[in-house]
Amino acid sequence: VPWASAPVPSLFSLAVTSEQIEHLHRRFKQLSQDQLTIRKENFDSIPDLEFNPIRGKIVHAFFDKRNLRQESDGLADEINFEDFLTIMSYFRPIEMNMDEEQLDRFRKEKLKFLFHMYDSDHDGKITLQEYRNVVEELLSGNPHLEKESARSIADGAMMEAASICVGQMGPDQVYEGITFEDFLKMWQGIDIETKMHVRFLNVDTIAHCY
Amino acid sequence: AMGTGTPPSPSGTAFEETRLHVFTLDYPHVQIPFEITLWILLASLAKIGFHLYHKLPSIVPESCLLILVGLLLGGIIFGAEEKSPPVMNSDVFFLYLLPPIVLDAGYFMPTRLFFENFGTIFWYAVVGTLWNAIGIGISLYGICQISAFGLTDITLLQNLLFGSLISAVDPVAVLAVFENIHVNEQLYILVFGESLLNDAITVVLYNLFKSFCQMRTIKVIDIFAGIANFFIVGIGGVLIGILLGFVAAFTTRFTHKIRVIEPLFVFLYSYLSYITAEMFHLSGIMAITACAMTMNKYVEENVSQKSYTTIKYFMKMLSSVSETLIFIFMGVSTVGKNHEWNWAFVSFTLLFCLIWRALGVFVLTQIINVFRTIPLTFKDQFIIAYGGLRGAICFSLVFLLPPAVFPRKKLFITAVIVVIFFTVFIQGITIRPLVEFLDVKRSNKKQPAVSEEIYNRFFDHVKTGIEDVCGHWGHNFWRDKFKKFDNKYLRRLLIRENQPKSSIVSLYKKLEIKHAIEMAESGMISKVPSSVSLSDYHEGKIKPLSPTEMENMREILTKNLYQIRHRTMSYNRHSLAADANEKQAKEILIRRRHSLRESLRKTNSLSRERPVLAFC
Repeated sequence: VPWASAPVPSLFSLAVTSEQIEHLHRRFKQLSQDQLTIRKENFDSIPDLEFNPIRGKIVHAFFDKRNLRQESDGLADEINFEDFLTIMSYFRPIEMNMDEEQLDRFRKEKLKFLFHMYDSDHDGKITLQEYRNVVEELLSGNPHLEKESARSIADGAMMEAASICVGQMGPDQVYEGITFEDFLKMWQGIDIETKMHVRFLNVDTIAHCY
Repeated sequence: AMGTGTPPSPSGTAFEETRLHVFTLDYPHVQIPFEITLWILLASLAKIGFHLYHKLPSIVPESCLLILVGLLLGGIIFGAEEKSPPVMNSDVFFLYLLPPIVLDAGYFMPTRLFFENFGTIFWYAVVGTLWNAIGIGISLYGICQISAFGLTDITLLQNLLFGSLISAVDPVAVLAVFENIHVNEQLYILVFGESLLNDAITVVLYNLFKSFCQMRTIKVIDIFAGIANFFIVGIGGVLIGILLGFVAAFTTRFTHKIRVIEPLFVFLYSYLSYITAEMFHLSGIMAITACAMTMNKYVEENVSQKSYTTIKYFMKMLSSVSETLIFIFMGVSTVGKNHEWNWAFVSFTLLFCLIWRALGVFVLTQIINVFRTIPLTFKDQFIIAYGGLRGAICFSLVFLLPPAVFPRKKLFITAVIVVIFFTVFIQGITIRPLVEFLDVKRSNKKQPAVSEEIYNRFFDHVKTGIEDVCGHWGHNFWRDKFKKFDNKYLRRLLIRENQPKSSIVSLYKKLEIKHAIEMAESGMISKVPSSVSLSDYHEGKIKPLSPTEMENMREILTKNLYQIRHRTMSYNRHSLAADANEKQAKEILIRRRHSLRESLRKTNSLSRERPVLAFC
């Protein structure tokens, strides 16, 4: 079995049983059509993903080198099972025995994943244009909405972000964009650790691909 | 005052006939409505009284104070008339007083959270209540066997029946107490959901054991019938509720010409679901809850704003009155000659209730934690166990026991009353300091901002996407599927002008309306519009606004005065979010857009782009 030799990423080894890894591997093989790596095109074979308005960003996230913990930047062309597991590890549930520091790191990791999804040009800031992009995509499933609404919503949200993060702005100040620290501030009230998880417990429920 | 006067008495001579009465008093004619009105008035005055001393409701929950008032009243009536005061009629309770409370709770229930935790809630409600009922019944039977206590005539079945009626967690009591302590929504929904769902099993067990007590022999087939009955009671009730909920939604599709009676349909259909279920001896509580939850989504979009407000206010008013009356009646009914005191039975009942509840929650949680992604901590378990309050439902059920079959009925009544008083008073009063002491996570009362709504939405899609990728059919999968089905068929059928709305957009529009109102009030409407979007359209950056405008906007945003129609969870039945005056708001928006365009033409610094902050 080719995957058995691939080292399981160390973060993952904490929480996941071999049963879950097996399930994910089966899924990986389905997606890759028994190849060793997956490319972007392979994601087209998931039927339900088509209806997801931010499909592009999700697929992109799998190939984003920043998520794959590689030192370089940009997009990978293909990912192997280890990379697949790395991405999945962002969605594992918290455990009872984690201490404060671990929880904090956990939370930062998950938020960083989300941050990378917003920040499409990889410059470490979410600019107004990128934010608009996100809102437009989110509302793209709704044919009745005009682009203007999406734009104004993004603007309003950006203003809120500015007021939270920077507070009082001088007349010459320009708010460049949301940095990761600002992003953290905005998510402070929401406990992302408990919400951002997917249960890979059930080995039977495998959705089919084309 | 045109009632029947006293008829002229047949008299001997014409001179003695009675003259026309200038003033008559005819109390029997109006007695019943008069007394009802007096009771309700008294209840409401009592409530005002409590809130006069503002610290009181936070220390002592209202339910306790109302029971005390009831006790006082009962004492007065008893002292004055030397007979037992009117006991709360079980029919009145189950048919008139209970439905409004459950309707109110079901209508404003946070459905998403409810369904996310449905497995756990169901587990606690069904298995937990069974565990409690059988545990209490059997252990009490054991106590009864000890001849020193003088209880040997109480059979096992009677004990089991008693166990089943006292183990039900009561939604009225839970609501009354949890309302003020503001624990986090998850915990609240677990306890409250359990109190609603356990009605099915309580109904089944109560009827089962009652019939068993009256039957001569019990065959195995009867036990299976009991189990089948449970499914019928539960599922039947829910189906009736959902069906009538859909009918109600469909009806409101056509009411746009007669707006005035729109609220009536909501109340009529939900009450209909309750009494229909009761007619078939199904679970009325589950029926009305299901009806309210189904109806909520669709009716909201069909009715006018005014009708919506009316529904909300009227529902809260009815449920508030009902709750008050229930507690006062409980107090009144306690006083009287319905009691038989037996130290052993009463104290052991109380003890077993507490022990079995604690044990039950602990054991069940260990099992259910295996299936939950977010396991319940020990603190959660403690609050769930401690929040298992008993209330008016077991009170009424015990009065319904046929005395012929239960010669020791008075003993049961006394025991039930003691348990209720203990849970409502002691547990009700101490739960608040306990919650603070244990540092249980409290509910986040912050109103959501637009960016939060965006993040949440974004996040949902990410989660669904990941679930799709790894092939796991999680909660999101089913929710998505239901949403698609809903959009395709249900909404088309049940909603009048079907425009798929986005919660982000509606939230944003509400914010803008509010913002516009504030700006108009502060006199800023004719000033320079927010140059934010105008300039950055070219530069891709945000330039700051004029300081006053920025200050104003920031103030508004940070004050979080957003009024969102319905989507926030409103647990507090004493306060309702006010509604914006839509017509005026629209007026302001139109004026604002005009002023924006005017100033654009004046400044002339930009091309003819439309100002970005305008919207429909």
